[in-house]
Amino acid sequence: MDYVGLYPVWYEPGIGSGWIVGLIATVHVLFSHTAVGAALFFAYLAHTAYRRDQPELLDFIKRYGLFLLVFSYVLGSITGPGIWYSTTVASPRGISALIHSFVWKWATEWVFFVIEVVGVYMIIYLVGKVDRATHLRISVIFGLASYGTMLIIIGILSFMMWPGKPEWFTEGGYLNGFYGANTFAQLALRTAFMFTMTAVVGGIVAGAIKDTAFKREITRKLALLGMASAVIGGLLFQWYMATLPETAEVIAQNRLPEWFSLSLVVALSVIFAWFAATWLRPGLLTPALASAMTLVVLVFGLWPEETARESLRKPYVAGQYVYSNQVIARDVPGLGIRSEIPLLERQGFQHSQVFVPQRLKTVTAENAAEVGHSLALTTCSNCHSLSDTGMRPLAGYFGGNRDVAEIQVYLQGALVTGNTLYMPHIPLNDAEAFALASFIAGMNRTSPLHPEPRRVAVNATAATPVTQSQE
Amino acid sequence: MEAAMLQALRDPAGVPSHPVIFLVLGVLTWALHIAAVQVMLGASALTLFGAFKQDAHWRRLAAAMLNTAKVAVSVAIVLGVAPLLFVQVIYDPFWYTSNVLSARWVIAFIVLLIGGYLALYAFYYRNPDMRAASTRGAWHLVLSIVLMLVVGWIMHVLSVQMLLPEQWMQWYAPAGHIDPSGQQLHAYHPARFAFFILLSGAVTGLWLLGYRRYLMGREDGHPAEDPTYIAWLKPLALNLALAGGVLALAAGAVWMLSLPEKMAWFATSAWMGAALVALLAAVSFPRLLGARLDTGLWGYAPFALGAVALIVVAAAREALRFITLLAAHGYDALDYKLNLDWYSTVLFFVTFAVLGGVVLGYLLTVAWKAGQTKGVYVPSPGLTRLGQVGVLLLVVWIVQYFAVGFYVWAR
Repeated sequence: MDYVGLYPVWYEPGIGSGWIVGLIATVHVLFSHTAVGAALFFAYLAHTAYRRDQPELLDFIKRYGLFLLVFSYVLGSITGPGIWYSTTVASPRGISALIHSFVWKWATEWVFFVIEVVGVYMIIYLVGKVDRATHLRISVIFGLASYGTMLIIIGILSFMMWPGKPEWFTEGGYLNGFYGANTFAQLALRTAFMFTMTAVVGGIVAGAIKDTAFKREITRKLALLGMASAVIGGLLFQWYMATLPETAEVIAQNRLPEWFSLSLVVALSVIFAWFAATWLRPGLLTPALASAMTLVVLVFGLWPEETARESLRKPYVAGQYVYSNQVIARDVPGLGIRSEIPLLERQGFQHSQVFVPQRLKTVTAENAAEVGHSLALTTCSNCHSLSDTGMRPLAGYFGGNRDVAEIQVYLQGALVTGNTLYMPHIPLNDAEAFALASFIAGMNRTSPLHPEPRRVAVNATAATPVTQSQE
Repeated sequence: MEAAMLQALRDPAGVPSHPVIFLVLGVLTWALHIAAVQVMLGASALTLFGAFKQDAHWRRLAAAMLNTAKVAVSVAIVLGVAPLLFVQVIYDPFWYTSNVLSARWVIAFIVLLIGGYLALYAFYYRNPDMRAASTRGAWHLVLSIVLMLVVGWIMHVLSVQMLLPEQWMQWYAPAGHIDPSGQQLHAYHPARFAFFILLSGAVTGLWLLGYRRYLMGREDGHPAEDPTYIAWLKPLALNLALAGGVLALAAGAVWMLSLPEKMAWFATSAWMGAALVALLAAVSFPRLLGARLDTGLWGYAPFALGAVALIVVAAAREALRFITLLAAHGYDALDYKLNLDWYSTVLFFVTFAVLGGVVLGYLLTVAWKAGQTKGVYVPSPGLTRLGQVGVLLLVVWIVQYFAVGFYVWAR
């Protein structure tokens, strides 16, 4: 017997494991991008402070740096590995694919990260304790090392969407996977927006400055940084979208919620207006208002962006070869990777998996619903909640249909063929399709999403999703 | 769990360098990580003890240890990233399964660690100078220590669970019914956990000797210079190292006596013997040094030897894992499929050894010297040149990133 390397499944019925990963990733982006932008901003401020003999700028570096010690270097440094931990339990083969291709890249990032952490303490606590040239040099080292961490992670994030070069599939090689148009477009985009975040979060510190003249100077510096980076970031977004795979464009047009684009435009406009207002009236800037703006960035800017990034790479979770449900979807000759679809077609899911109890290996009339539950956990739950809450509840896609035969026909038409956009190829055999249909029918009987039974217009050749989409 | 199943769980992409490199790096970086964890725990405990004392020396030590603990948490987290990375590379079937089976606790780990770290900062903000004012909000520090111990316990459980593949199915599907909640911590070994926690007493004692030597090295007339404090530290450090060592070895003995059958070989192995000798040497070394502790750089030697002992302990811990999984489950971590990638391998080692060595060498030397200097510290021309080379290396690294990237993109 051959096996596919699917791990046990963790399923969180409340909000779904996917959203937990999304929440941690989103807040980490805020903490980490703010830190990288601030590191470069500090280098600029230190340079200005020593050139113009303005020691109060060093005082601002110290204050903002102390704030960042908690904001970015406590919360950020924990949520960073936190993304690893959360993806480890929610999508083990997704993170494993990235780790095994880019372990040395992550190890290299770690070197920069160590320098960054040492640097942030030194830039804060050595103000006035070392000569100016030394402090400035430490600031430059801190800024460059910090940006180095972003340079590295961007290539890995781009690979998640799709490998940099198509040759990666045939030749392998870290360089082919890491570098491509999307890498540089995403780097430019995130570089711009990291300065926006630095400016927004910096307002929390600048808002507390008592000296009116100094507050005006810092506020205006932050406002200019924020306005320029927001506008440039908005323009770069077009470049970024142009570097996505064709499937992502179709998904963007058909699957992203209507409020997505509106949310980004509104968030950018509000941020720009906020900076314009504080540039004109620096007295407006208070820690409370700056904190509120930080929340706006988080909720209306970063959350839609991160969820869209997750949606656009569907049905894959990494490198266009690992499905969201963890199955290896295609051959990658460059690394000697074989698609698991043929094995699943030959043996079925239940007989191919390591973590299936013996009593659920074979479908019977008695255990069909329970086997279906097992299959739903494996093949669906990574993207579809099996309860009524959370990410894209599965019950919502079947219009309350309770007819096992009809659901089975749909599953075999839409999923077994692998012809449905956005959905993975799920090669269920007849017995397994029946089992999964039994589970879904049972779920529909109990789901408050559909108190009244409805029939779905199922087409035997259903290559298109059912119409009752939640999205 | 059959060997074929474990093999199937391996990542099909293979590894980009020989697995032994990841094995060795995992041992070295885990040793550094656990050293930072133990200093953090010991420093926090000393701060808590000092928080309830009125004695001036204890207040000063508590203030210093509070700062030490704050930085040690940062260092522990940063250094912990590396072994976390390497364990996923060659032990992925075990690490991922163990994590998924206790997934809620893995997520809780993140939240609790944030809580513990923030509680430490909260205590610091309420007690910015413990020498000058009485302690406020000690419960923050108690909470921090408790949460740090809980997150340590979670890591301990994950490390134990990965060694027990024969029980995984029973945990995932008790009586054949799948439980995907990940809400249980399934396996633990309290004596093993106690060994590593109690060892923090010994490590912190050795750390205090280094701290004492650092204070002795300050320039004459440094405002913080106080010979009575330096003299007071010595017996405290020596006793702490000894007591921590004895307690840890006692816990270690219980651990060895209670090993599961398939790991029982470890109790009488050369690995265990080497770890025992290294720990005994590290704990007794400062007493053997006697008066020489106060001369030259000898004051730093006990902590250096302690670090070496921790590397030996880390190697023994790795041997326990490697050999158990090989002998009992047929999993050879060193026969992982190889997809050699020279570029990323060489880039890492050059970045680590050259760039990291120069830049961190510069930064840590400046920090060290600045702390020992009265007034403003001005580095020597040689040290300044090292810093300039560090900046240059960073610029060169970034330039090569874009040069190689644009070439690959345009190819």
